[in-house]
Amino acid sequence: MSETIGPDFLLESRGTHRELSAFVVAAAFDRTGRACAFALGDGTLAIVSRADLAAWPVVEVHDGAVLSLAADARPGFVSGGDDGKLRRVGLDGAVQDVAAFGSRWVEQVAGFADAKSGLLACAVGRTAHVYDAAGQRLKSFEHPSTVTGLAFDAKGKRLAASHYNGATLWFVAAKTDSPRKLEWKGSHTGITVHPAGDAVVTAMQENSLHGWRLSDGQHMRMSGYPGKTASMSFSRNGKWLATSGAESVVLWPFHGGGPMGKAPTELAGGDGVLCTCVAFSPQHDAVAAGFSDGLVCLADVNTRRILPVCGPGRGPVSALAWNPDSSLLALGTETGFAALVDFTKR
Amino acid sequence: MPEMTQVPVTVLTGYLGAGKTTLLNRILSENHGRKYAVVINEFGELGVDNDLVVDADEEVFEMNNGCICCTVRGDLIRIVGGLMRRKGRLDGIIIETTGLANPAPVAQTFFVDDGVRARTRLDAIVTVVDAKHLLARLDDSHEAEEQVAFADVIVLNKTDLVTPEELDAVEARIRTINRFARIHRTTRSAVAIADVLDQGAFSLDRVLAREPEFLSGEDEHEHDEDVRSVSFEVERPIDPEKFNAWISTLLAEKGQDLLRTKGILAYKGEDRRFAFQAVHMIADGDYIGPWKEGDPRHSRLVFIGRNLNRPELRHGFEACQA
Repeated sequence: MSETIGPDFLLESRGTHRELSAFVVAAAFDRTGRACAFALGDGTLAIVSRADLAAWPVVEVHDGAVLSLAADARPGFVSGGDDGKLRRVGLDGAVQDVAAFGSRWVEQVAGFADAKSGLLACAVGRTAHVYDAAGQRLKSFEHPSTVTGLAFDAKGKRLAASHYNGATLWFVAAKTDSPRKLEWKGSHTGITVHPAGDAVVTAMQENSLHGWRLSDGQHMRMSGYPGKTASMSFSRNGKWLATSGAESVVLWPFHGGGPMGKAPTELAGGDGVLCTCVAFSPQHDAVAAGFSDGLVCLADVNTRRILPVCGPGRGPVSALAWNPDSSLLALGTETGFAALVDFTKR
Repeated sequence: MPEMTQVPVTVLTGYLGAGKTTLLNRILSENHGRKYAVVINEFGELGVDNDLVVDADEEVFEMNNGCICCTVRGDLIRIVGGLMRRKGRLDGIIIETTGLANPAPVAQTFFVDDGVRARTRLDAIVTVVDAKHLLARLDDSHEAEEQVAFADVIVLNKTDLVTPEELDAVEARIRTINRFARIHRTTRSAVAIADVLDQGAFSLDRVLAREPEFLSGEDEHEHDEDVRSVSFEVERPIDPEKFNAWISTLLAEKGQDLLRTKGILAYKGEDRRFAFQAVHMIADGDYIGPWKEGDPRHSRLVFIGRNLNRPELRHGFEACQA
């Protein structure tokens, strides 16, 4: 005997959800995994605490839209807005200014923390600013054009920034700032760093990806996408890079000599719907993927099994995030639907 | 995505001192009850409260798509993405370019980027020109000429600073460059909002809504660097394959010189009109409504550009007839 399980089974049986009535720009869990924030197009953060999944308190943070969100270096979140503010929001909802940039949008933020230290970074126009965990500015890095993506490496030693004609890799603690310049002609629109620091990959305006192997500067060209490759996520061990922009989840092998000369693996395809968002589990070889029709599923890379998480019909998926132990998945859509789904073994 | 949800975008160009900011302030201060976002480069001159002002850097990026003159405004792609995340609907976006800007990258952004195309539509390019100084500007600046060539609407401003004869001479010069734009003579940029916003000039439905004046000019070949406009009309139906082959080769070879190309075509065996437009090499085309009963099914094509070889263009277009 088998039961028919609908695409909303997990959402209904193990999820909590809300209509937030504004574009979900991003979702992020804080470092402790105790709470998740949904950053919204009305300037607020909806913060859901693991201890009370029924309450979705809303905090007003920006006058306009939230443009960027990351886990803070300490428990809580950091966000940038089109009001020119970089602000941090505690788990209790307390809002604190880190910096203000007048009329300039704060389009990128990144955070890092380990046992010893914490860092924050934001990008405003051509400049990336780095702050310590207390919010004191440490450095400002200038770029040849607007910074379109910002990411710390896994150790918090380097900050990678994408821009026109390439990317720049800065050593945060260096006495003199002589960055490593990664050059490739064209408009680079987002960036991610390999978890072991092997490579830097950017999304490009021409619906493709570009990568640089850091050991020898070898170029990696990954193309053939029908849509934007805006969302990228490495697996925990760095063996795979999952990307949006195709009518399936595209996984490039960063092992066995790849991705150069290797064909990518495609998962969860076949519906003719563009994948808009991906997020690798921080613990397992499984990737969460959202599509432009609202479908969210979990794809197991090894078995290729697909588990539906949330059925279509709630707007194009615009945000996905896992908590650090991979037990909670947050999802959000352009039309304001947001949910948390619990994957804890029962 | 249905057309209804696309936010109209007006591009406002004009040389320094022509009256762009005055026009912008006029549009925004009028009690129109609408919500506009304004993207500007020179911050601080605007006196607006209700509208959203976005500070931008003009960042013109080349595309890696094998098309040498295809450039986009990278900052606009990001700004449109950001604006579309905001809660509350915008009635329009107005993009002010710097005085020295070539309008092509702005226009091409709305053809090339999928995200921008899905959410916004380029409505019209509005160029403000200064009646007193335009002729001098046209002689010393490629950009001033391109701003006139690209325009759908030209606000011929500061008419009080010239004599009626001088004004006619300026307008005649504008017409040699761009025969198809609407011209509004003004002082202090006093033009009705309805004549500037919501023009639909880039809508395929209205691509040739304004009948060009079909001058039966000589088939001269312009070898100079000045921008001119030419138009052609043929009576027999067009073979789509022949037209596609001809126009794509033409745009690929001469696209740098062809600033704007627009046409309404009668394809053989087809009751609907086919509308076509291009900005340099980037083209767009689709069927629009049926031909009107009783109207002659003549195909028309217009070019605005440099080094237009009129006989060659005419023969090429005529050879596309089925």
